Amino acid sequence: MTKLTYTPPPHLKAEDSVSKAMLDVIIALLPVTIFAILYYRGSALLTIVVCLIAAALTEVAFRKAFNKKPSLNDCSALLTGLLVALCLPPAVDWWIAALATFIGVGIGKELVGGLGLNRFNPALLGRVSVFLIPSLFYSLRPLFQDAGIYAGGVDAVTQGTPLAMSHQGADMSILQLLAWNDGGALVEVSPLMVIIGGAYLLYRGHISWRIPATMIATVFVLSILFMENPVNQILLGGVMLGAFFMATDWVTSPITDKGKIIFGIVIGVLVIVFRFLTPAVEGVAFAILIMNAFVPLIEKMTKRPSFSEPKATAATAGKGTAAAR
Amino acid sequence: MEVRTFEGGAHIPHYKNYTEDKPIEKMSAPAEVIIPLLQHSGASCKPLVKEGDKVKIGQKIGDSDEFFSAPVHASISGTVKAVEPRTVPTGGKEDCVVIEADDGPQEFEMKQVRDPDSVSVEEYRKCVREGGVAGMGGAGLPTHVQTSPRQPVDTLLLNGAECEPFLTCDHRLMVEKAEELVKGAELMMKSIGASKVLMGIEVNKPDAIEAVSEKIKNRKDMEVIPLEVKYPQGFKSHLIKAATGRDVPRGARSADLGCIVRNVGTTVAAYEATVHDKPLIERIVTVSGPRVPKPGNYIIKIGTPLEHIIEQCGIRDLEGTKVVMGGPMTGLAQSELNVPLVKSTTGVVVLPPEMVREEMTYMNCVRCGKCVEHCPMLLYPNEISICAEAGMHEEALEWDIMDCIECGICAYICPSARPIVHLVQRAKPEVEKLQKR
Repeated sequence: MTKLTYTPPPHLKAEDSVSKAMLDVIIALLPVTIFAILYYRGSALLTIVVCLIAAALTEVAFRKAFNKKPSLNDCSALLTGLLVALCLPPAVDWWIAALATFIGVGIGKELVGGLGLNRFNPALLGRVSVFLIPSLFYSLRPLFQDAGIYAGGVDAVTQGTPLAMSHQGADMSILQLLAWNDGGALVEVSPLMVIIGGAYLLYRGHISWRIPATMIATVFVLSILFMENPVNQILLGGVMLGAFFMATDWVTSPITDKGKIIFGIVIGVLVIVFRFLTPAVEGVAFAILIMNAFVPLIEKMTKRPSFSEPKATAATAGKGTAAAR
Repeated sequence: MEVRTFEGGAHIPHYKNYTEDKPIEKMSAPAEVIIPLLQHSGASCKPLVKEGDKVKIGQKIGDSDEFFSAPVHASISGTVKAVEPRTVPTGGKEDCVVIEADDGPQEFEMKQVRDPDSVSVEEYRKCVREGGVAGMGGAGLPTHVQTSPRQPVDTLLLNGAECEPFLTCDHRLMVEKAEELVKGAELMMKSIGASKVLMGIEVNKPDAIEAVSEKIKNRKDMEVIPLEVKYPQGFKSHLIKAATGRDVPRGARSADLGCIVRNVGTTVAAYEATVHDKPLIERIVTVSGPRVPKPGNYIIKIGTPLEHIIEQCGIRDLEGTKVVMGGPMTGLAQSELNVPLVKSTTGVVVLPPEMVREEMTYMNCVRCGKCVEHCPMLLYPNEISICAEAGMHEEALEWDIMDCIECGICAYICPSARPIVHLVQRAKPEVEKLQKR
């Protein structure tokens, strides 16, 4: 007898898939990635390659340990690897890059159950971890030296970043700000390329305008209140990458429209707080990670009423029209 | 032309080009029909015939004393072969009357027995009940129940949206039977005490809008409402919202809404039951699919086995295909071919192997929000599916799982391929128990 397939409805399926979407985000990151490689050459390429390989290996290892099917083809590990690399300075030691990726993909994602169950943005978690625990590197350094491996300088981030230069009052033209920036993380080389990538994501419908627009606008407006150059504040540092690629991460941002707006605004406020009121750098990364923790609360607060939810005024309004007929 | 719609929903490829221009055509009678005694929502009928009885086309063969029920009739003349449980389109088994055709003519003789302009409301309601007319758009409510409201309702809303992909039977009916539709609408309007008829038709059927508009151009009490082509425009609550602007709160009765929704096919069937004494023994069915050799809109006898329909449409090879009764968004895939066509079967859609996804693997929810964006009930299918999957029924209730109309948009669009509707269907009975506690 002929074998008929009988699965539950619906029997049609849209083409959308997670791997296609992830691939699209990687495509959106290509302009800035290529730009960074052209600008920093070998050092950028090395960091990126190290992070990609570390991401793939970490995911394979963790999934094997948990007895799960490999999921490399969903591209999410590679995306995390690329994002971690872009958040690191070009001259970073390879093992720091690898460690950041390992923490992001392994602990930030796989250990908590895999893609979809992570509460914090894995790439930012990885990046911030290696920023927070430099003392660990100091203690690890002799180990590498004993083994005869050159581990490079530890503190690679002390060179003047564009943001720091702007703080010191250096004058930069807008054009200069948009492309060919020296210092800082790989991604800071060209905010323009990040914006192009973000525009692609918006065009493809993978992200909504709500988070990037509100976050950038908040940073802009508050900068004016703090008597800072608002254009510098939104273009420098990680604001653009954060707004378009990190704060919009599906898994770790609110799903409700109103929630997205609240999320974007509060991140913007936190970025300003970190930049102007505390000595901390990496303000964008911390701001987003902090807000990641509030996503469930924001979603509960901003839940829309169901189509079937009786409206107090609707019944009377309905009767009004009925009577008018 | 003002086009109306509702919030949410999605544009789904509608695949109607295979049959939208195909005139309604009669399909040959099968050698045997299987007529379930329950083809509506309500009480099952008791058989009025037994094995060996001779029956004539149109003869009542099952009825019930319950108000919430509709009788069933023989769709062919012949001999009762058995009264026994058989597999029906829902996948379960129901008592059915199996009739073997004799050599005589298998056509119901149409002659006017009542004048549509002078028939009384009581007579109409009686004819609709005796004719076994039940909802032909999917839900299958006995029509006489719907057309006998205790309190009058001001608006009759006719559903000609036909938002399910592939289906064109209502479309062709509106084009070819506009006259009967309008007369049927008038009868039904009188029966429910309404003062106004609205006919909601999606704008991808311009010829249907034109045909119906032409017939009602001199009437002030009837109006065609052009609707945006958007799924699930034809679901009752969304049709009401789009056409009248009224909200449809959960549990609202027709009297509260001031509106009764009926499918256009049902309206014509009720008309024929009244004017011609023709019971609901056949219906228009869209048989379609990208590889179906002879797709079309066929008049097929109730009880016709799927196998006969497949054969008549020239389908030879079903290997790896999915045969769906109803539309592809909410219809049910069949596991065997000896299931009968019932009163609410709108279509038979044969999906070729390349459109069939056999693997049932799916991923975690990645919270992309696409289901939330498109959910016509303004729910959170992401949360609902996670709660349903984990057996967290209390939480599922908090996320309004019981409001879900199972339209299937969320599962259609989900990039993680989560079987959201299936999870919801599985959880709903459990959640219901929780509600009753």
